[in-house]
Amino acid sequence: MFGWNGKILRIDLTKGTSWVEAMPTYLMEEYIGGRGMSDRIVFDEIDPQIDALSPENKLIFSTGPLTGTGAPSASRFMVSAKSPLSNCVSSPCCGGYFGANLKYSGYDLLIFEGKSPEPVYVTILNDRVEIHPAKHLWGKESYETEKMIREDMKARFNLDNWALNSMGIANIGPAGENLVRFACIMSDGGRAAGRSGLGAVMGSKNIKAVASIGTGQVNIADVEGFRKAVMAFYKEARDSGDFYKRRRYGTWGLPGRANASKSQAAFNFKDGYFKKFVKYEDPEKIIELIRVRDEACFSCPFGCSKRSRIKNDPEYPLTAKGPEHETMALLGANCGLGDMNDLCSANYLCNELGMDTITTGAMISCAMELFEEGHLPEKDIGYPLEFGNTNMFMLLKQIARREGIGDLMAQGGIAFASQYGHPELFMGIKGMGIPAWHPQAFDALGLQYATCNTGGAHTKSTMPFYEGRKDPAFFVEFTKKDQDYLATADSGILCWIIYHGPEWGDKMAEWLNYVTGTGFTKETLDPLGERIWNLEKLFNMKAGVKEDTLPPRITKEPRVKNRVVPLDKLLPEYYEMRGWDKDGTPTKKKLEELKLEKEGEGVI
Amino acid sequence: MKIKIDHKTCTGCKQCEIICSLAHTGSVNPWRSRIRVYVGEEFCYPVIAGPYTEAACNSKGTRMVEGLEIDECVTCRASCPSKSVYKEPDTGIPLKCDFCGDPPNPQCVQWCAPNCLTLVEE
Repeated sequence: MFGWNGKILRIDLTKGTSWVEAMPTYLMEEYIGGRGMSDRIVFDEIDPQIDALSPENKLIFSTGPLTGTGAPSASRFMVSAKSPLSNCVSSPCCGGYFGANLKYSGYDLLIFEGKSPEPVYVTILNDRVEIHPAKHLWGKESYETEKMIREDMKARFNLDNWALNSMGIANIGPAGENLVRFACIMSDGGRAAGRSGLGAVMGSKNIKAVASIGTGQVNIADVEGFRKAVMAFYKEARDSGDFYKRRRYGTWGLPGRANASKSQAAFNFKDGYFKKFVKYEDPEKIIELIRVRDEACFSCPFGCSKRSRIKNDPEYPLTAKGPEHETMALLGANCGLGDMNDLCSANYLCNELGMDTITTGAMISCAMELFEEGHLPEKDIGYPLEFGNTNMFMLLKQIARREGIGDLMAQGGIAFASQYGHPELFMGIKGMGIPAWHPQAFDALGLQYATCNTGGAHTKSTMPFYEGRKDPAFFVEFTKKDQDYLATADSGILCWIIYHGPEWGDKMAEWLNYVTGTGFTKETLDPLGERIWNLEKLFNMKAGVKEDTLPPRITKEPRVKNRVVPLDKLLPEYYEMRGWDKDGTPTKKKLEELKLEKEGEGVI
Repeated sequence: MKIKIDHKTCTGCKQCEIICSLAHTGSVNPWRSRIRVYVGEEFCYPVIAGPYTEAACNSKGTRMVEGLEIDECVTCRASCPSKSVYKEPDTGIPLKCDFCGDPPNPQCVQWCAPNCLTLVEE
């Protein structure tokens, strides 16, 4: 078989058993890999009504046919489950070395079922799949966990330095163990499958970590064609100024861009501009300040991720990954924190504790506003918490360990803000914090966030930098198309830092054809995204999540450029464009067109 | 000719491992590659497979690179009886860089996007 391995590894944690299943052909042909495959399995195997933190939920790690082949940036793996934060289907994506190693071990998908009676970690070395006790790892922070597992695997499998180094580890920090509803799954020292709280799902199953090292191979159908195509892509990447910027700055070019276009989420979305970030408008300044080196995911020619030096403080290590722009915006500008060293520390803390920096930032900025407005008394927290106060570092630890007020905050933004009488001050969508860009700054952005199936996610649609265009029809169409495009890309699975633009569909078809030897085209790939989007919508409806809304601050208070997001006008147009009813229910006709009639039973 | 390595610019993407195995075996498997990248915190360290030695060395220790201590085995180019790196995983046959033919056209150099590897005259 080319590209795919055609195998699913299932691990039943309740019984402590594992087995391998053949991958159904339709999954490969119709859903390709990644988000498509795992969403399909979520839909087929998880009851939408269950509690996301119960043993009935499943945790699915998926790769794609391109993973580990050397197609630029095809390193990624996707994790899917029912989210404990939004109650929706969720599928965050992560780079690093884990995805490729799972593939080299001989599997396309890894599915965890049930719940282990006590903490465990799982090691996968090809067909040698083992479940080990992890009591000694419980409570450890992310990096320490990885280090201890590497040492253990070195002894257990007699691995040399290079092999240990090549290994991929997905793990949770204390936040995941303590079922913080926005805990993430960390990987390879600072990468994260971040949004929607799947770290808590992993914690609820008592899995501390999964380590994989594969010695197998991935076969490519047209080796010569593939080599030439990759070389051609490299040439293009080397010559292109746009690619140069993405490689050189990663996401560090964005704080300046956000500030300049007044779209920087700041002070719990009360503003679209953060004065303290002016000094970082030239990304070279950030490089000069903190960068140690560029760091790439497996098989990525860019290396957009950066390793940074943290201020000279004994509490922190010498260097750490990030911070990426979303972290700078949500933990930084949105909490009034403007010093790059502080930002590195906040980012490092979240990574070690295993928490999504975006929702965490939204939680803390909400607490800050509640505090400043006098709704949250100081005696409840134990210290003052105005915007910009570095006491928030204490709060981060409290949330992850569920101490003091952190216990309430770990339940998510709506529960926390409601307790203090102001649920509208949590800037979230379906329970997930709104990402970095202020929705009022760009016409389609509010619509994209509101309609996103997984809550306010920044990777399920791109940022529409179309200032000045006033035609709502354009934005509605753009939103639909973009959501579908990215659902297909997530099935590839390709990183959209690279494949960011209208031409990516052709590119993905090209890679897929060289690798798998099949006849994909952009035209055959396009409907896939729409099918995935509708399937996710049906799951959410069955789970009881129907509304596509934005916080009232975004739709009613003109904070940026004196405008609000006219969601009530845009939504009907969007639903119509999708072929859905006025209330956002997919129509029978649409589902027939997408061959999802059976899936729609009981909902429409 | 030799392949010059500038470890300061290496990003740890391991495309060199991938193309080496692809060019030599027709499939992707970094374990069958003749170049292997050690990914460190401060920098990465690609090492190209040198000749096989019958005996394991007795002086195994650590080496300082950029002020950091690393295991000497990581930087050693040889494969030996006690070091599994640079051997075919199934057969144990030692691997050695062949500069991808004559005249030399190393694929790892071609695929190295950060230009950490370059082919130079000796």
